[in-house]
Amino acid sequence: MLHNVRDNYIISVKDHVSQFEEKSFRKLASNDFKSWPSPREETWRLSRLGVLSRKEMTPIKPNFKKQVSSVSKFKDSKIIRFVDGALREDLSSKLPPGSSLNILGEQDSLICFHKFKDSNLKNHPSTNVSFSCTPSIVKLTIEKDVKIRDLFEIIYEGGDNNLSVHPALYIELKDNSSITIIERFNHLSSLIMPLQLVELKKNASMNSLKIFNDNQQSYNLSVNCTFLSENSNYNSFSLIKGGLFTRSETHAYLKGENCNLNLNGVYLSSKNQHHDLTTAIYHDVPNCTSKQIVRGVLGGKATGVFQGKVRVAPDAQKTDGQQMSRAILLSENAIANAKPELEIYADDVICAHGATVGEIDDEQLFYLKSRGISEKNAKQILITAFLRDIINESVEKSIQNFVFEEAELALSEIISKEI
Amino acid sequence: MSLLEIKNAKLKLDDKDILKGLSLSVSKGEVHAIMGPNGSGKSTLSYMLAGRDGYELESGEVFLEGQSLSDMEADERARSGLFLAFQYPVELPGVGGMSFLREAVNSRRKFLGEEELDHLAFVKEARKVASKMFVKDEMLKRAVNVGFSGGEKKRFEILQMAMLKPKVSILDETDSGLDVDALKIVSDGVNAQRNDDNAIVVITHYQRLLDYIVPDFVHILSDGSIIKSGGPELALEVEKNGYAGLINAA
Repeated sequence: MLHNVRDNYIISVKDHVSQFEEKSFRKLASNDFKSWPSPREETWRLSRLGVLSRKEMTPIKPNFKKQVSSVSKFKDSKIIRFVDGALREDLSSKLPPGSSLNILGEQDSLICFHKFKDSNLKNHPSTNVSFSCTPSIVKLTIEKDVKIRDLFEIIYEGGDNNLSVHPALYIELKDNSSITIIERFNHLSSLIMPLQLVELKKNASMNSLKIFNDNQQSYNLSVNCTFLSENSNYNSFSLIKGGLFTRSETHAYLKGENCNLNLNGVYLSSKNQHHDLTTAIYHDVPNCTSKQIVRGVLGGKATGVFQGKVRVAPDAQKTDGQQMSRAILLSENAIANAKPELEIYADDVICAHGATVGEIDDEQLFYLKSRGISEKNAKQILITAFLRDIINESVEKSIQNFVFEEAELALSEIISKEI
Repeated sequence: MSLLEIKNAKLKLDDKDILKGLSLSVSKGEVHAIMGPNGSGKSTLSYMLAGRDGYELESGEVFLEGQSLSDMEADERARSGLFLAFQYPVELPGVGGMSFLREAVNSRRKFLGEEELDHLAFVKEARKVASKMFVKDEMLKRAVNVGFSGGEKKRFEILQMAMLKPKVSILDETDSGLDVDALKIVSDGVNAQRNDDNAIVVITHYQRLLDYIVPDFVHILSDGSIIKSGGPELALEVEKNGYAGLINAA
């Protein structure tokens, strides 16, 4: 690798790491960060980091006195706050019995690091950089048999121009436990690289909602790595609306039989935003189901990307894997890319995928207009329904309206410009 | 003055002549039936009247209460009092039946200079009309036409007609896909709306529907124009001898 202007950030990451000499995982990770992925790498072909690699940037040093600006959106949620990528215990709620939050020490951090490295994420830029630069890896544990009734709301904010932010969260749900977690990304930073490891033990069940609403100039390269054990459920929904470039990546490993995975999402993109939902699902054992529904609405010169890979191992018979993506383009200059990838090595499976990109359906539009509804209202009704439909189908009932309202805000901005 | 006047309508689709100089005059209080074999231009006629994109007239003109429709979009025509009951009502996933109806009704009320109905008043009105049409409350809560049976879809069309109180209603093959019981419910719904101020145009393949919705006039549409007009007895003639005899005679 040539050292030229593009490597400035790599040098600042190494400088940053040298301050934490005692933590071996940082050193290991920073040694692996050799360059930004090139557009020739298949998973980065549709979402190029070229501009980013030419930016002047250094990892942030968290300010533990920084005031927060994002308020909770729920009356009784348990709040966990990350500011500048660091856990702020002083601004977080006391957690209910059976749940705990810890900052991992050297040994446990190394274990977490290796879990990532054993996955297919070992060369991922976010993995390498965030393990190098995170203030600490935070672990949220839900104990065996504990069903958390409170809503957990994790709010990430902070950051600043030309700085990168690196929150790292490890969530473990022990046997028979369950929880609903809402994560809201509201950074001001140039570059955000949230790292997340989720482990669901037997019979554990997690609902996850992520709302990406970072500052309009920022890059968010979020990575989630989830391991599912027998009979576990992971139900995840991502709403991407903020940032200049937001990529939410989820890599799920179905390791125990009879587990059930939903990785759904919506991107609402306008101006020159680039939004990317990338998933990789590994069916390693028989009798599991996975389902992905992704929808996007784009205006302006925005670009939307959905790339979804489903790999079914030779032993993973009776797998049921479904994938469907739809995007509506409201402007001639908007682009939507969909890249489904099925790698199936078992012979007794049901796997289906479909992708459509287009304008609003003519027939539906005519039907509404034939009832006296103006074209503008008709389009608004159809697009709103397009989102309402997927939200109702994939988000837990108690938070459906919240998600819908969050989506509607971004949607009305797109619609007001395009219709 | 006619409520609906079609004058020498000509229309091409994909460079093929579909309507070849069709004329029709419909006055207040009348029910007209337009019958014709497959491919005679029946659905084209209904889309043309409703103002679907791509179904613009090449020549000729259509007037609703003396006002030309040629520069009016589908939504304006509907607000002015034209209604099309679809042969294949369109599914609208995620659009709730009640809010759809309310949007439609309020668009029309606004046009007529009437006050828009608030949510409560509207729900009350909709339920009243729906119960007459044997449309269950539960159906209004579902997404429009999604998962509806053939009969439910057609009932929902006629419910919309009843709520919108159009001047001219075009019923495009409303009998298709209906069993006898459903046909009776739908026809009763239509008949309940017949009055001296409005008009109904029933477009159909078969005479069967006309046993329930008895027309004042019957027109035979063939190859893009009306080849014969008469009273209800004309429909019986079609039933007896088929279209071929009439077409050959014309």
